[in-house]
Amino acid sequence: MDAFLTSRIISDILGGLTNGVIYGLVALSLVLVWRSTGILNFAQGAMPMIATYLGMVVFAHRLGYWPLVAISIVAGFGVGGVTERVLVRHLYGKPEINPIVVMVGFLIVLEGVAAAIWSTTPRGIPNPFSPIDWQLGGKPIALSPFSVYEIVTALVVMSGVAVLFRFTKLGLQLRASALAPEVSRLLGVRVSRMLTLGWILSTGVGTICTVLVASNFFTGLTPQVMDGIFAFGFIAAAVGGLDSPVGAIVAGVSMGIVLQFVGDFVNSNAIIITALIILIVSLMVRPNGLFTKSTARRV
Amino acid sequence: MKWLVAERRRSLSAALIVVAVVITSLLAPNPRDRVALGVAIVVAIVGVATLTIRGFRETHPVFARATLTVVALDVALFATYFFSSITNFNLAIGAAMSIVLLGLSFLTGASGQISLGNSAFMGVGALAVAIWANHHASTPMVVTLLIAVACGAFVGLLLGLPATRLRGPYLAGMTLAFAVAFTAIVNSFTSWTGGDAGLQLPTAVTPPQWLSSFFNAQTSLLRVNTMWLADITIVVTGVAFFFMANLFASRTGRAMRLVRDNEVAAELVGVSLPRARVIAFMVSSAYAALGGALWTLINNSVSPPTFSLALSITILSLVVIGGIGTISGALIGGVIYAYSTNVISWFTQHTGINSQGNLASQLPGIVFGGLLILTMLFAPMGIAGAVRRVWARRRVRMTP
Repeated sequence: MDAFLTSRIISDILGGLTNGVIYGLVALSLVLVWRSTGILNFAQGAMPMIATYLGMVVFAHRLGYWPLVAISIVAGFGVGGVTERVLVRHLYGKPEINPIVVMVGFLIVLEGVAAAIWSTTPRGIPNPFSPIDWQLGGKPIALSPFSVYEIVTALVVMSGVAVLFRFTKLGLQLRASALAPEVSRLLGVRVSRMLTLGWILSTGVGTICTVLVASNFFTGLTPQVMDGIFAFGFIAAAVGGLDSPVGAIVAGVSMGIVLQFVGDFVNSNAIIITALIILIVSLMVRPNGLFTKSTARRV
Repeated sequence: MKWLVAERRRSLSAALIVVAVVITSLLAPNPRDRVALGVAIVVAIVGVATLTIRGFRETHPVFARATLTVVALDVALFATYFFSSITNFNLAIGAAMSIVLLGLSFLTGASGQISLGNSAFMGVGALAVAIWANHHASTPMVVTLLIAVACGAFVGLLLGLPATRLRGPYLAGMTLAFAVAFTAIVNSFTSWTGGDAGLQLPTAVTPPQWLSSFFNAQTSLLRVNTMWLADITIVVTGVAFFFMANLFASRTGRAMRLVRDNEVAAELVGVSLPRARVIAFMVSSAYAALGGALWTLINNSVSPPTFSLALSITILSLVVIGGIGTISGALIGGVIYAYSTNVISWFTQHTGINSQGNLASQLPGIVFGGLLILTMLFAPMGIAGAVRRVWARRRVRMTP
């Protein structure tokens, strides 16, 4: 049993799971914005990054890890809400490239501002979880207290979002205003507020994800910490279907595992190349993503 | 009456040419300079005279575009003789960039798609030139450039395979992933590409003998070389712009604009959507590859890390600021790119920002990103569009 748990295959699955939940979270936050406002948010990595800096760095000397996490998440909500009200609001109903361009611009402005204030040097975030893998019979299994923390947090967030959308009145309103804004408005849903809420939620999820990534002893917090992860998150979201939260999470986790195998058995360069190939092939086979029901487009 | 006007114009042009030739022959020190200067002036005058014929641009659009290209090239090439090496170098870099911008401008303006991977396509062209030159040093430059263009188009085709889904957000995301993956791809074929360190060209591009003879013996070799590089780049840019102007106006270009504005209508009149999208994407990547290839020639080397996602975003900003879907917008963007570094360093000097500090190093990104957002929100057609609008308004006011 010990030999099995420390074997290469199990290590890859566990390591891949740890990465996969992160991709899943990014994909989930992309899907939340896409479903509520039909915008692919290219600043989905940078907005939480700013929130994490605000929470983690500004008060770093006075507070412990958990209060800082809480502040970061609140900052994430704030960044999401303000962005929607100030910037995104003007983009509804415009040609589909306008929001893309604006959010790309927002991405580099945020990264530039963050680097100008806090420099590009990685900043370690001390946290209570050890990054060292547990040992089993003298051999490491690819699981550390920190990665368990990552996986558990991600699962909690994912189920929290699911509960919110499935079982609460607010979730119902959110879904309704995404599907049929006019009807919802007539039925008394404050659609405009729901759109803002969609962005707040999404940036909140993104911030939790960024906090997890930045807390990792081996990465730390940099202005561009989410750039690479965003690419994987987008691929997961596109493969699973930008409309489908479940698809995003499943695609994210399975991509994490597959890519871990690729990285282990081929080399690290092959990881992103494989991801790109997965994206191209899946867009060819199932253009709407693996998990969305195909819908007729009305003209 | 019309004939009379034409007659007057013809004699006016002839008189201008005579005066110009007389002046040059008095000014220029030796016969070779005299001939060069004379030819340049005659081409410019004849070109401008042709272009200003009433109705000429409507009746002979292709010929008018060719004439415009020739005149612009004539003036630009002539000007490079007087510029300093630094100006010529900036000019060459900016001209090559404007080719890339034109490609993206076509993709976005004509077919409504967006690419964040154009820096990677530039990288494909840049590496193609370097790799080919390292294996077949004797190939003429034009052929090498065409090979680079073909490589760019081919990679564009590969990425364009899921063509049915090549729409706004998906294409943008996929090309972003390509830009992120580019370094990994380059590093997977280190023996060919040289990895992150890149490649040197085996031989620098050197000017031919007749060009060097225009300069004094004391003129530094660097100055002659840079001028030659700037001239090559300008000519290639001119040709690229000429082709694109025709493509914009052609049947294909019109079909693509229809795809952009109304997919269903386009399908109904028999335009194949996947085909139109793939062609637009391939043209855009081929143009990016050409720009990258010229960069390799200008720098005499290629460094793959240059072609990062950040460069892609800069390309996008320049296209938007210059004016999406306009030819002049691409030129404006190229000029902005060539001089942005100078302007920003001037700005940091005069505002007392620490030039070694974090803010100064991040300023280009912040400025480009800010301009990108502002342009998109307040003047979606960029500088070219704004100028065009002001122009149109003035015209309306002037005609009673």
